[in-house]
Amino acid sequence: MKAVGARLPRYDGVEHVTGRTTFVDDVRIPGTLWVKALRSPVHRADITALDTGAAESMKGVHAVITWKDVPLLEYGHLSALGIPADEPLLAKDDLRYKGQPIALVAAEDEETALEAVDAIKLDVSEKPALLDVRQAFDADAPVIHQWGNWYPHFEAEMDRRQIRKGDIDKAFDQADTIVQGVYRPAAIEHVPLETQVCQVVPEASGRLTIYSCTQALYFSMGVVAAHLQIPLNRLKLVGGTVGGGFGGKVDTATETMCSLLALKSGRPVKWRWTREEEFLCSSTRAPWHMEIADAVTSDGWIVGRKMLTLHDSGAYARFSPYGLTKHSFHHTGAYTIPNLSFDGYVVFTNRVPTTAMRGFGVTSVSFAAETHMSRVAEVLGLDPYEVRLKNANRIGDTSPNGVVYTDPSTVPTIQAIADAMGHELSAEYRTMNRHQREGELLPEHLVTQVGNPEEH
Amino acid sequence: MNLTVNGSTHEIESGALTSLLDVLREELGITSPKAGCEQGGCGACTVLVDGAPRRSCLVPVGALGNAEVTTVEGLGAPDDLAPIQQAFTHHYAAQCGFCTAGMMLAAHAYVENGGSDDQHAIAEALGGHVCRCTGYVKIIEAVAAVARGDSFDLATTAASPGMTNIGGVK
Repeated sequence: MKAVGARLPRYDGVEHVTGRTTFVDDVRIPGTLWVKALRSPVHRADITALDTGAAESMKGVHAVITWKDVPLLEYGHLSALGIPADEPLLAKDDLRYKGQPIALVAAEDEETALEAVDAIKLDVSEKPALLDVRQAFDADAPVIHQWGNWYPHFEAEMDRRQIRKGDIDKAFDQADTIVQGVYRPAAIEHVPLETQVCQVVPEASGRLTIYSCTQALYFSMGVVAAHLQIPLNRLKLVGGTVGGGFGGKVDTATETMCSLLALKSGRPVKWRWTREEEFLCSSTRAPWHMEIADAVTSDGWIVGRKMLTLHDSGAYARFSPYGLTKHSFHHTGAYTIPNLSFDGYVVFTNRVPTTAMRGFGVTSVSFAAETHMSRVAEVLGLDPYEVRLKNANRIGDTSPNGVVYTDPSTVPTIQAIADAMGHELSAEYRTMNRHQREGELLPEHLVTQVGNPEEH
Repeated sequence: MNLTVNGSTHEIESGALTSLLDVLREELGITSPKAGCEQGGCGACTVLVDGAPRRSCLVPVGALGNAEVTTVEGLGAPDDLAPIQQAFTHHYAAQCGFCTAGMMLAAHAYVENGGSDDQHAIAEALGGHVCRCTGYVKIIEAVAAVARGDSFDLATTAASPGMTNIGGVK
């Protein structure tokens, strides 16, 4: 234990402060071509014409790619886990979000690449877009995805992530009060200071060397190999120096397309997104729509929770089914509620596809669960700290998905927050500990929730 | 056209309207100024022009005349770090490192001009620089330490005293 608790210097600190850290954009490769993308100008449309002939014949243009150049056009970000693919690497028949890549150009310099993008002929027939998850289920809503407006491939081909626990109807029948709330945290762009950037070198050996700012190097390796239909041993990924990611560099946004351009042109290529592209076209944290109804007793027990979540996935699934699953496991927050009915949908809209950001599905539900705890306390006229402590996870309690907690920290955390805020707790809550429930802390409705932590 | 960077004078082939950022990165291979937004909004491309912080993405190289440009490569080498460089590594003020060069040059100019260790004055001086990793606290601590004239033990990382009331939160 030489490192834990020690104030070690940063291993890369001196590199950073002398400007010697080599980020992807700083890698210097002679003969590198610049890459620019033609992106969808609209939220939703059919492509009626796509002609790259004029761009290809321009002086200084070395390669143009469209969907026709991709050996395996659709490969899902969760394909390795058996989740089917839904997103083409480059748009083929239709456009589903503003900024979706359609064609890419590799040219001698940035200006020529931009001119070549302008020379690509694109005709579209615009269609009504779906931008609000709350309208996705309407009978007259446009159907924007080949699977319908929500993801239908959870286990057993269920169209939602569902949790049922205890007897929810009985809990609501017995409740003194029902407390409802709707929570809608907005999308957030990660805004790494380093925009998406990639360089790919076609080596004489036939291998590709890929300089990537990805947060998930081996993941990206698998995605590139799958789209290109080549073995992993033809790819050498160089990464690890990320100019800020925060989840926004988990999707494989650039590496595959740059690899195709490097192979087609036979030249090294570099694609560095502009700040405008980063804001408009890169994946974001999802906006979430969450509705909670809690069955509560007058003395502050939460005996049941019904919850509906609409997870705005954007135009394609990517990692969203995984994010929603994590969300569902945490939907009671740091508290134990014995009777649950949770339904969550991954809803498609014509927004940019959404992805991980610091908590991936959990941050949203933590915000909703905590805000709702305060609302419950307010409705009941009780102390919000004490309502939290009363319902707090304790050793032996069971999570929504059946995990028995062995080391929950809710009780000491809430007490520490009360101390930091100068909030006076009554003696009962000041002395509360996180030990397994018994006596007054084990009311009838929680008896079924106490498991044996020794077995977990 | 000639350009003096970190004490060396270079003959420049780029056109007069080429941004100083592009000349530094693409023609001279000096890569510490970063293309964070290329529209003057983030501060990652900041260099010193005759000692004053300037966004190199917004400066046409032809407008520099005989001015002297300084990048962090000119502040100090690994075995001879300037105080601001020592402070940034000792105080863990560089996290991903991408905004660091611009942030340090603005901080260096602030301290050189007699800036104090007042947290709000430092925050004001660095106001045009975006960092998405640190939350700015450690950056401000590092600059304050240089303004106080602290010395730095680079074999360790400083304990953070923690700060309050940054950004107007009372």
